[in-house]
Amino acid sequence: MHYGMVVDLKRCVGCQACTIACKSENGTPPGVMYTKVLDQVSGEYPNVRKQFVPVLCNHCVNAPCEKVCPTGATHKRADGLVLVDHDKCMGCRACYVACPYNNRIFLKRGKLKSGYHGKTMTPYEAVKYKEHQDGIVEKCIFCSHRVDAGLKPACVQTCPADARTFGDLDDPESQVSRLIRSRGGVQPLSEDSTEPSVYYLS
Amino acid sequence: MSKTMSIVGNEYVMGFRRQVEWAGLIASAFFFGKVGAGLFMMSVYTQSRPGMLIGLAIVLGGKGGAHLLFLGRPGRFWRGMARPGSSWVSRGLWAMSFMTAFGGAALLLPAGSPLFQPLALVAAFFAFIVAVYDGFLLTSSNAIPVWNTSLMPVMCMFYAFLGGTTLTLFLSHFGVLQLPAGALLLPQLETVLLAVNLAIVFLYLITTVNSAGAGKRSFELLVKGPYAVPFFALAVGVGLVFTLVISISAGANATPGMVAVLTVADLIGHFFIFYLLLRVGVFKPVIGLLKI
Repeated sequence: MHYGMVVDLKRCVGCQACTIACKSENGTPPGVMYTKVLDQVSGEYPNVRKQFVPVLCNHCVNAPCEKVCPTGATHKRADGLVLVDHDKCMGCRACYVACPYNNRIFLKRGKLKSGYHGKTMTPYEAVKYKEHQDGIVEKCIFCSHRVDAGLKPACVQTCPADARTFGDLDDPESQVSRLIRSRGGVQPLSEDSTEPSVYYLS
Repeated sequence: MSKTMSIVGNEYVMGFRRQVEWAGLIASAFFFGKVGAGLFMMSVYTQSRPGMLIGLAIVLGGKGGAHLLFLGRPGRFWRGMARPGSSWVSRGLWAMSFMTAFGGAALLLPAGSPLFQPLALVAAFFAFIVAVYDGFLLTSSNAIPVWNTSLMPVMCMFYAFLGGTTLTLFLSHFGVLQLPAGALLLPQLETVLLAVNLAIVFLYLITTVNSAGAGKRSFELLVKGPYAVPFFALAVGVGLVFTLVISISAGANATPGMVAVLTVADLIGHFFIFYLLLRVGVFKPVIGLLKI
């Protein structure tokens, strides 16, 4: 079992529904996004086009963040998910500078003391912020709690354009494997030999 | 496509992104680590107990303190020793611990003890690791090309030697250390180290000037962008050229005042070179070679 994701750039409409679904699912504080959609303008006037590129932790097979982590907080599960043990992280941010995808977020001290409405937290924030710790590094966890329950990650579940597909990369008949095979899935920054578990179709 | 991309902040656009987490406190930790370890090594060489003690205090208080202030969860710093097999942060922490243990043990021994020299040498070995490990730490980051160069550990090593020599000269001119007769060549060593460091910085710039993508953006930030003035004025001008001129002109006959000026200038340059190299760290665009 090796979980991975395929992102179809031709399908993504840049609606940021995945960004919101992720924030809602994980209850992250303001400014903390495990996933988001970046704009890319390409071409030259008058032939200009805009593309959208969803980005998230790539759960690399050769994860540089895991290698540099001095505490062992960043670890890899047998199913390929790269997770951070909040109780072990000391906030040195070695993983932040090691991640070529810049997909790690440091939660400054005090970050969890206020929510989207200032010091007054919504009941939802009050509950969800207890799942986080300040002074440590966080990142996309492929919604491991949902995956463990047999569900898809929130961003995949929500995407209205079906741009994100989640599944087992080890299974040649899974939808992700078939998409990568038939459409020529490309790993981001493959030249860095990190072997991301996220593939892009263009 | 990445040729046309610019440096972006937190906007939802594709582009080069600067690293923003490792800055002043990490630069301070690197600075104190190299200067303290350098002084410790020079003091073992010159057999100066006060120098060893001051070097150890700089590493523990300066480097250790800066690291603790930087950590998001300083109470968990001990957990950083868990992964010396793959993490340079872990290796650095172990090296600091061993340097402290062996150095402290050597300093606690009475004068003339036969165990002093072996313990001091072992401590000096770990001080050497403390001095250079941040270079390996930066080099191991493929994500930021301007750090990912084998010159980084070399630069750290020579800056540590330079810092140690400068502080040894300073402390000896102000009567804190008594140098043995063999250490009289320290002013000449200082001049040589300044020249070598200047050459290494020049070599570093040459290797980055032809880099592509994120490395080029870092180079532009360093020599043309907002960091050009502190880089050329403080890191190179004050820290290396000015000090080299003083060192050559004064030679072995430098007055305490000149040595004090040289020391301050050298330490300013030392801090700023690594601070600026941290500040200009730029990540590659996340799509890499992907064509869209």
